[in-house]
Amino acid sequence: MNYYEFINPTKLCSGKGALDNLAYELEMLGACRPMVLSDAMLEKLGTLRQVTEALGEMQIGRVFTDIPRDSGVEVVNRIAREYRDFDCDALVALGGGSVLDTAKGVRLLIAQGADDLLELQGCECIPRGREVPFVAIPTTAGTGSEATAVAVIKNHARNVKMEFISQQLLPDVAILDPRMTLTLPPRITASTGMDTLCHAIEAYSCMQKNPLSDAYATAAVRLVGENLMRVVRFGASKEARTAMANASFLAGAAFSNSMVGVVHANGHALGGVCHIAHGDAMNILLPAGMIFNRRVCRDTYAELLLYLAGPEVYHNTPAAKRADRMIAEVVRLRGRLHRMTGLPVTLKEAGADPALFPEVAKTALNDGAVIVNPRQVTYEAVMRILEACYEGKEPQQGQTPSGKKKAKKRSI
Amino acid sequence: MKKELLNHVNALVLAVLYRSLRVLYRDDSRVREEIDGWKNNLSFKLVCGPGGAVLALRRSEHAGVRKLQRAQRAEITMRFKSVEGAFQVLSGQKSIADAYAEHLFTLEGDIYQTMSFVRVVEYAEAYLFPRIWSRRILREVPEKQTGSLRVYAEALLEHAR
Repeated sequence: MNYYEFINPTKLCSGKGALDNLAYELEMLGACRPMVLSDAMLEKLGTLRQVTEALGEMQIGRVFTDIPRDSGVEVVNRIAREYRDFDCDALVALGGGSVLDTAKGVRLLIAQGADDLLELQGCECIPRGREVPFVAIPTTAGTGSEATAVAVIKNHARNVKMEFISQQLLPDVAILDPRMTLTLPPRITASTGMDTLCHAIEAYSCMQKNPLSDAYATAAVRLVGENLMRVVRFGASKEARTAMANASFLAGAAFSNSMVGVVHANGHALGGVCHIAHGDAMNILLPAGMIFNRRVCRDTYAELLLYLAGPEVYHNTPAAKRADRMIAEVVRLRGRLHRMTGLPVTLKEAGADPALFPEVAKTALNDGAVIVNPRQVTYEAVMRILEACYEGKEPQQGQTPSGKKKAKKRSI
Repeated sequence: MKKELLNHVNALVLAVLYRSLRVLYRDDSRVREEIDGWKNNLSFKLVCGPGGAVLALRRSEHAGVRKLQRAQRAEITMRFKSVEGAFQVLSGQKSIADAYAEHLFTLEGDIYQTMSFVRVVEYAEAYLFPRIWSRRILREVPEKQTGSLRVYAEALLEHAR
């Protein structure tokens, strides 16, 4: 690459007690009447209460919790209207990817003085608008949305997940507090953790990769390798929760600056058409996407083995076999998570209808992520990936991480 | 002076690109299929830097694409940040994917619909550049369904409207 850009101005407050600084951070941003966005589940679990308590004496302009899992343009437009009606002056978003991306859309609308998010579609074309202080508090360690200049918001009318790309979407502050993810069940912890791994791997192998995004991506892969199994097994470990939250932030910052590829293109399409949860889709599609790209990503996958499996495995694996070993390690990790949490490893288990695959493939081809995938993505290739993932035909049977059995290579 | 020259080259390549899209709509089934998938009258604008050359077109039911007036607003606008950046793409030094990866242009409008336009331009590049050239910039060079010389010849005869 001859030229690259990198942006990550978000202030990170990470670790024990991070949430306690919320009121101070808002004050520093000039806010005194924030609107708090979250969802009904977090309200029920009491996580939202922890956040409102952390606001102390600060007046809350409005609390909005009616945000669905696949939030859409209509919800964003509605919240922006309420923000104005209730005279709010900042946004605090507490939740997973859907809540955070919804908040990003709301911020864009308010900052630009617009009424409909569809008017603001595009990539890197939105100028700086009105200041809208924005604090993101993720409750999953997966989407990395708190560190990305990307928002994925569903257009229900067209059944597609739309991407908005602008540096104006980046939050001012991200708060990663282990208390926010402690209640996450093992299955969702596993699914979102694999989303983080997918972000990091795709960020490290896409055409837009650069030295800074590489540094973030490798750090994220290392943290996932060291902590994902641990956090699934010992969900109450604040140390492991913090490590995974950091991994998610790092991977988010990485892919925000290098983009993602065919795995995410297919995952967004599966989410839009078949309603497969994003993390589950990433978990199912990642090995197949890596096998598809292996022809042009052999060296990058080989390098990642060091960070995912550690120096011993890396050095004991012949250089020519490291890429395959990396894919096998991902498959192995996925298998362990499947056994521990029941996380689906095939599209069949996830409930996808193969009759919809042609529509999924057409949708995936029009996802912005395919443009920077290192290998050309075609309709036929997407169909092959989907079909391979439906029954789980990745090399999980013949290919073992130890490499003792001869790998039964499949080309997708 | 240099910028002026690049502007002229960009304008020339855009004219060839527009004509070749009309030719390929007739001669290449994949281009036809892509363009037929666009909603009727969907308009695109390719702006080659501030004050630079502009290609503005819209989907036309029978001819594939037709020109729009430069001043007319398009639903999707790809805007190169500089004349030099546009020249790198239009002269075949970089693919659109490379240009995107290097932030050479911004996009106003629906990313989803733009991807089809990008594929159409990549098909055109496979015809307009020599294979050795297109192999250097495209991740995979699509098979040609007709000869490049024929596309150039038809483009020369094409009435640019």
